[in-house]
Amino acid sequence: MSLEPRAGQTPSILKKSTWIDFGIRLTAVILALVFTSLILVIAKAQPLEAYKSILQGAFGTTIKFTSVIASWVPLVIATSGLLFTFTAGLWNIGMEGQIVMGAVFTVGAFRIFDETGLDPSLVIFLAFLAGAAGGIFWALLPGLMKIYGGVNEIFGGLGLNFVAKTAAIWLIFGPWKRPGVASGSGTEWIDIPFRLPYIPGTNLSLTILIIAIIVAVFTAIMLKGTHFGLRLKAIGKNDKAAYILGIPTTRYFLLAFGLCGLFAGIAGAILVTSKQYSLIPDAGFGYGFLGLLVAMLVNYHPIWSAVIAFFFAALSIGNTELQYMGLNSYFAGVLQGFLVLFVVLVDGVRKRLVTKL
Amino acid sequence: MSRKSAWILISILMIMVLTLTACKPAGTVEEPVAEEPVAEEPAVEETEVQEVTEAPVTEAEPLTVGLLLVGPANDAGWSQAHFDSMAYVQEKLPGTELLYLENVYTGSTAHTQTPAELAADMAAKGAKVVIFNSDDQKDNAIKFAQENPDVYVIHASGDSAWKEGKNYVDLPNLKNIMGRMEYGKMIAGCAAALTTQTGKIGFLGPLINDETRRFAASSYLGAKYCWTEYLGKDPADLEFKVTWIGFWFNIPGVTLDPTQVSDDFFNTGYDVIISSIDTTEALTEAKKFAADGKQVWAVPYDYEGACEGANDVCLGVEYFNWGPSYVAALKSIQDGTWESSFELVGPDWADINNPDTSMIGFNKGGALSADNAAKIDQFISELGGGLNLWTGPINLQDGSTYLADGEVATDLQVWYLPQLLEGMEGQSE
Amino acid sequence: MKISFQHINKWFGKVHANNDINFTIPSGTIQGILGENGAGKSTLMKVLTGFYQADSGEIFLDDKAVTISSPEDAVMMGIGMLHQDPLDFPPMKVIDNFLLGTRGGLFPNRKQVEKDITRLSQEFDFQINPDSFVETLTVGERQQLEILRLLWLGVKVLILDEPTTGISANQKEKLFATLLKLASQGLTVIFVSHKLEEVEQLCSRVAVFRQGQLVGEVMPPYDTDQFVYMMFGKSVEVADKSTFRSEVPYIKLENISLEDYRLRLRDINLEINCGEVIGLAGMEGSGQRLFLRMLTGLMRPVGGSILYGGHNFTGRTYPVFQKAGVAYLPAARLEEGLIPGMTLTEHFILSEEHHELFVNQKSAIDLTEDRIREFYIKGTPASQIEQLSGGNQQRALLALLRNKLRLILMEHPTRGLDIESAIWIWSKMKERCKDCTSIVFTSSDLDEIIQYSDRILVFFGGLVSKPIDADTTTVDELGQLIGGKGW
Repeated sequence: MSLEPRAGQTPSILKKSTWIDFGIRLTAVILALVFTSLILVIAKAQPLEAYKSILQGAFGTTIKFTSVIASWVPLVIATSGLLFTFTAGLWNIGMEGQIVMGAVFTVGAFRIFDETGLDPSLVIFLAFLAGAAGGIFWALLPGLMKIYGGVNEIFGGLGLNFVAKTAAIWLIFGPWKRPGVASGSGTEWIDIPFRLPYIPGTNLSLTILIIAIIVAVFTAIMLKGTHFGLRLKAIGKNDKAAYILGIPTTRYFLLAFGLCGLFAGIAGAILVTSKQYSLIPDAGFGYGFLGLLVAMLVNYHPIWSAVIAFFFAALSIGNTELQYMGLNSYFAGVLQGFLVLFVVLVDGVRKRLVTKL
Repeated sequence: MSRKSAWILISILMIMVLTLTACKPAGTVEEPVAEEPVAEEPAVEETEVQEVTEAPVTEAEPLTVGLLLVGPANDAGWSQAHFDSMAYVQEKLPGTELLYLENVYTGSTAHTQTPAELAADMAAKGAKVVIFNSDDQKDNAIKFAQENPDVYVIHASGDSAWKEGKNYVDLPNLKNIMGRMEYGKMIAGCAAALTTQTGKIGFLGPLINDETRRFAASSYLGAKYCWTEYLGKDPADLEFKVTWIGFWFNIPGVTLDPTQVSDDFFNTGYDVIISSIDTTEALTEAKKFAADGKQVWAVPYDYEGACEGANDVCLGVEYFNWGPSYVAALKSIQDGTWESSFELVGPDWADINNPDTSMIGFNKGGALSADNAAKIDQFISELGGGLNLWTGPINLQDGSTYLADGEVATDLQVWYLPQLLEGMEGQSE
Repeated sequence: MKISFQHINKWFGKVHANNDINFTIPSGTIQGILGENGAGKSTLMKVLTGFYQADSGEIFLDDKAVTISSPEDAVMMGIGMLHQDPLDFPPMKVIDNFLLGTRGGLFPNRKQVEKDITRLSQEFDFQINPDSFVETLTVGERQQLEILRLLWLGVKVLILDEPTTGISANQKEKLFATLLKLASQGLTVIFVSHKLEEVEQLCSRVAVFRQGQLVGEVMPPYDTDQFVYMMFGKSVEVADKSTFRSEVPYIKLENISLEDYRLRLRDINLEINCGEVIGLAGMEGSGQRLFLRMLTGLMRPVGGSILYGGHNFTGRTYPVFQKAGVAYLPAARLEEGLIPGMTLTEHFILSEEHHELFVNQKSAIDLTEDRIREFYIKGTPASQIEQLSGGNQQRALLALLRNKLRLILMEHPTRGLDIESAIWIWSKMKERCKDCTSIVFTSSDLDEIIQYSDRILVFFGGLVSKPIDADTTTVDELGQLIGGKGW
């Protein structure tokens, strides 16, 4: 439950209990709902109406429901990537930038291949490969900086996030701008054949759903069932001891970053091919940051992360509905903020209590 | 945490869904918008002249209109002009239901969905027509129109439905509506030129595209005309600088900060700013500088009430009056005469501030001197009388000829102005 | 301060760690608490210092019933504890470590504190510079520092949990002198240990624990056999001395020079034979650790060469050494050896080489259960490593060693273990020597070094002695060398 990925300091007497853990999280969720309701009351809105409207907004129509799934896809992929780095004890704050780089490389690939007359599905595949490469490239940088330059990955990641966004903006306003246009609206859309088609009547591409499920299952299996996952966990909890036990920690650090970058790149490619169709300044849509949040909230547990990611996706889609009620749609942000706050808080309180037991 | 507890959480969420939705029968989404007090509409004065256009539409089924606003509904600019026009629509077409969303733009943190997806949901909620109010939503408007042939789409400011235009897409359910804001911008430019003490006019531009180049150039043409014709000054002494922020409004981290850009203008001797972005930072900053004793002015944009709050530094505002055009478009849907079209609507020269007839208007601001106000009136009547500033000789910024001597620009030439004009400072693309 | 325990009970799950403990410690005494690992000594002390709350029972301080709900509480009441693993804040200066413990005061008085440290240091003949960094201190020095800090905070009761592990003989002597002095000044000292001779030497009374119960209280004169019997419920025999040293040299060190920021070792030449055990003696921080780490590849020599079985390993990294059959058991168990937060089973999976993708849980648990039986680890395959007692962690560490090894490097292999376990562990290790495995180990226990080594190297101030034959040397001779005499 510790929020630090390095759980070495966890007091030995903490007994892992599923039910306590679950109760803790439920308490946090309830507290967050109560406090958000309070804010709503202060804002002279009906909390129940608001929650109802969020639920309607998320699940009321097929369009909305499939939008939730479409939004869950990049989030769960980003979270999956982050589970690898978190397990290895790494704070990959640079996730957002890695998704942006994935999008940049994807769009770059389309710019190269769109006139070649290649089969569109081949071009899409190449664009995904490029996106993956971009994500991996951008993720390995903080890894290398950490290992060979002694730069904490948090600072490296923060810096690289900024660089990635700046690079995207530079491309949008510079070399990749639409002819005669210089606008934050983004680059020219990719041609229709390159867009992943939606399941008719929905907002969801089947391809990305399949990718997300593969990624989530892969992550759960890798982390929970393989030697690789166990070694990563060992490194995350005590890299010195792991090294002495014979785990090549440097290689595993880079592997964790690489895998995280791979998923970031795929998420970026998905956002380009199934949602935005172009490079925009916020090409990561904040999924990297939201992924960090989800991974933290679930204490780096793969199966839970899929569930919580779904919850957050539903929240962010349902949120729009509040505007129809005349409520500010930054409401979801308030709820998210309270959630994080209370999970951290309740966790801290629990630790205190446990030490006293 | 185990799989078991994951399922428990899911079940609890499901129970929450069920209990909460059970509170009221589903599907009765009330329309809070209709209950909202109609925003102050000082310009609405019923005139008898309009009787003719009010054809009986009593048997027509009321429409649900979806409106995607690029900015907030109260931005005192572009989006508010659209939003307020809906009150006009509801007055003229009683029963019209409005679904609207604010802050629908690329990378907006308010929505996880793209404009096309939001529009699809509006359609699912019963919207028969969706208005995309921004250039930023152009691709999405087209995509939505392609995917939803049964829903009518109005894209304000676009050119996709212009057969003669460069970006024509054949979509029977798509219509473009835009005002001939060239005239409004000329008036704004004129007011600026008449007022400036330093001879330096700043143009606070949004992003760069056909539209914004066109409006920046129009402002310059208006300024230059009044500078030379009314004040008798040398055009070489008029400085006109354009700074683009990169989007229709401020997005921190992406665009330049319009507040900062305005400050820079005022600090470097530009004493009048013509704003062409969706929001009113230039006016706010002018007020701040004026409070510090500086002689500065601003011309806001888009919304008829934009001067409000800073009237003493406001030279006036050139604004859009979308209501009549939207009423006409909706009526055409109701009576089955809808056609995909590109509508470029000009001012009603008889009275450019007539809310029922004029798409483009100009409200004089408190900072416009009486003398200059008279000159503005004169300028407007000259324009109404046939004065066309888009007449050669006009050179482009790079010195190449745009219009030969005596040549009058066509709508296409004006719309697709390739560069800023000679004499203007600033990026052309 | 007089301390009285009445009917203290403490459970950890199914383990009854303290079973109805009743006894009284008079003021101004040095009270020994004796028992093997897991007997409940540390638990009782943690109850006394507020780390744990007793499930039932009461504590009286000077006949007043008290509730001690946290370590801070305990310090407020005048009870301070020196832990087995000193709980200081390594990346800080000594003085900051002191300032952290002060109560109140946004702007602490550095000057005054600095003076206090120096004064206390002098009083007890410690050499601690307030401006040195804690991480540069040896275990012994950290211990001295912690004693100073507690005294400075004004404690009346000083609890020491296995204080002699990890410190040199010299530092031990100094510690004992300090404790006697403190007791004479009226402080109550509680000395927790499993080492008979220390308890006998130091304590004015002894309480013996076994399996959570207080078996009895003993006053001097002491009878060692009685203690052993009380601790184990039976008498224990000392292992015989056997050697498996062959004449086949396996490792060759030629003119090795080692350096770190405060120490420099020059021109070490040594051949280690198959099956040989080499003990490294010396004061803590005299270079034994550098030497050991050099043999693992974790420390790169600045000069000379290392030959393993004829291959030049100079400049190779730890994984290469490891592949060649070198294993390293660091002293800081929970920092370098084991992974807190992971179970015994997970440790055993990690320690073995695996080339398949998926973990075979079944076989891993089987392996773990085997090792648990073989090494008498008190725990289950699902026990988190940090939940085991110190001694069991050490057993686990040994159990993690792979089967085929050429060289085992150990730091304080039996630290914190009772005699019985120590004997048993060495018999395990010696068995490996039969298969030509060599062992190099450090220990602060000279008896252990003489008992189990074939040859001994003594480290002193950057010097390394010629190998000394363990059969012909004595504790006295080694002690002289360690103290810098006879070089």
